[in-house]
Amino acid sequence: MISGSSLVARAAPLLACLGLLAIWQVGSLAMNNESVPTALEALRAVPSIMGDKESLINILASLRRMAIGFGIAVLLSIPLGLLMGRNRFVASFFNPLLMVTYPVPKAALMPIIMLWIGVGDLSKTLVIFLGVSLPVIYHSFEGAKAVEEKMLWSGAAMGMSAAERMVRIVLPAALPEILTGCRTGLVLALITMVTSEMIARQSGAGNILFNALDMGQYDTVFAMIIVIGAMGICFDALFEMLRARLVRWSEPQFDMPLSFS
Amino acid sequence: MTARAVTADIVLGLVPLALLVALWQGLVSFGYAPATLLPPPGLVFMRLARQLTTFTFQQEVAATLFRLFTGFSIAVVLGVGIGLAAAASAPVNAIVRPVVRVLAPLPKVALYPALLLLLGFGHESKIVLVAADALFPILLSTYYGASTVEQKLIWSALAAGTSPRAVLFKVVLPAAAPSILTGCRIGLVISCIVVFLAEMITSTDGLGHVLVTAARTFQAVDMFVPLITISLLGLVLNGLLQALRAHLLRGFPEV
Repeated sequence: MISGSSLVARAAPLLACLGLLAIWQVGSLAMNNESVPTALEALRAVPSIMGDKESLINILASLRRMAIGFGIAVLLSIPLGLLMGRNRFVASFFNPLLMVTYPVPKAALMPIIMLWIGVGDLSKTLVIFLGVSLPVIYHSFEGAKAVEEKMLWSGAAMGMSAAERMVRIVLPAALPEILTGCRTGLVLALITMVTSEMIARQSGAGNILFNALDMGQYDTVFAMIIVIGAMGICFDALFEMLRARLVRWSEPQFDMPLSFS
Repeated sequence: MTARAVTADIVLGLVPLALLVALWQGLVSFGYAPATLLPPPGLVFMRLARQLTTFTFQQEVAATLFRLFTGFSIAVVLGVGIGLAAAASAPVNAIVRPVVRVLAPLPKVALYPALLLLLGFGHESKIVLVAADALFPILLSTYYGASTVEQKLIWSALAAGTSPRAVLFKVVLPAAAPSILTGCRIGLVISCIVVFLAEMITSTDGLGHVLVTAARTFQAVDMFVPLITISLLGLVLNGLLQALRAHLLRGFPEV
């Protein structure tokens, strides 16, 4: 049974979307600038993009790269972060390396990586992988560091091996924090995907966006912005639902993504 | 931790960095990578040192820094302001929360073409993009910090006759400072990254533009120089903010 107030709370983001679109509509009408279409015109152009076979293939290819890059990054980063959180030597081994690579703009590596391994899927996936890894490692690290020692001692006293303690105690205890990292990583994956395609300009969603800009098809530009923005919002909402299911036991967390590091 | 353990940690931490440089040098020296694709590290750093003293390169750095700081300052003012307002007033909160929920996960770079159309190819579009990207971490951590201020502190201040407005600035703002500064640190690094990317996508000056020009002419050495410069800038600014934080938060319990 959904109460009235929670219904409002659920509908609020939707209302916010409508509100923002309304502001856009009014603003563009007021500006009367030829290169800025109204929200309605842009929305009307969305089906034509999604219906076009070539751009659909491009967008799906982008999403595939993003999924692969994100998946590999998460699979490698969580164990590394957990190990760093539980073992001081591993932590002091990797921490300076991560600190130095943290402010490097990952998508800016694109031109250099392109020189080495070409413009193909591999270079773009690699860049996404690099972008996602750092926040996931960092949050797994923080989560594993905060695990209560007593639980680990109890586990050891019950005869669990170190590996077992890692999987059955540290992993679940750090899960809320890990998922925060994954959520940040997911948004970053999308950002890196779009940026790398804007820089490499060969295929994908970012490329459609800038090609349309070059050719002066302004309603396509804005429609593509709506498509990419909607992807970001949908991924975040879906991940939030997944998170709520996985860590229902943890304290009700802040419902907005806190860190975008 | 003893001083000795700290030194051991630092030494251990330098190992992967040294390995990385050694691997880089090794790849070049043993001919796995041609020097045109991967210039040796010595060459890159010498080039960097030489470039940093030339006027044209300094101008590019200045253009980047100007956009970076203007955008970041706008983000700090708006982020702290909106964050505090959302924590202090229920009606503002009711509007800000869902809007932020929608806008925060939106990839801001996708807005860049729209900003180009609206504001042109100059400083403005890049500054707005930087501000938009840095805004949300600052806003969210301000909001989070301000809404978790201990209620007793506020009650005490009110009971002592402080006006609600003064409470906001004298109690809530300082109490939220650690969280706000954490947000600013994240926002600052994001600003560095975003300004560079925006300059790479379309620009006529700035560090990102230097990288793109080098890439067009396949000058690998010149591609590494701006990339290392922006990363160093990020590290230095991050360190400065850390020092500022330590100064501002002296006397706070361990944060």
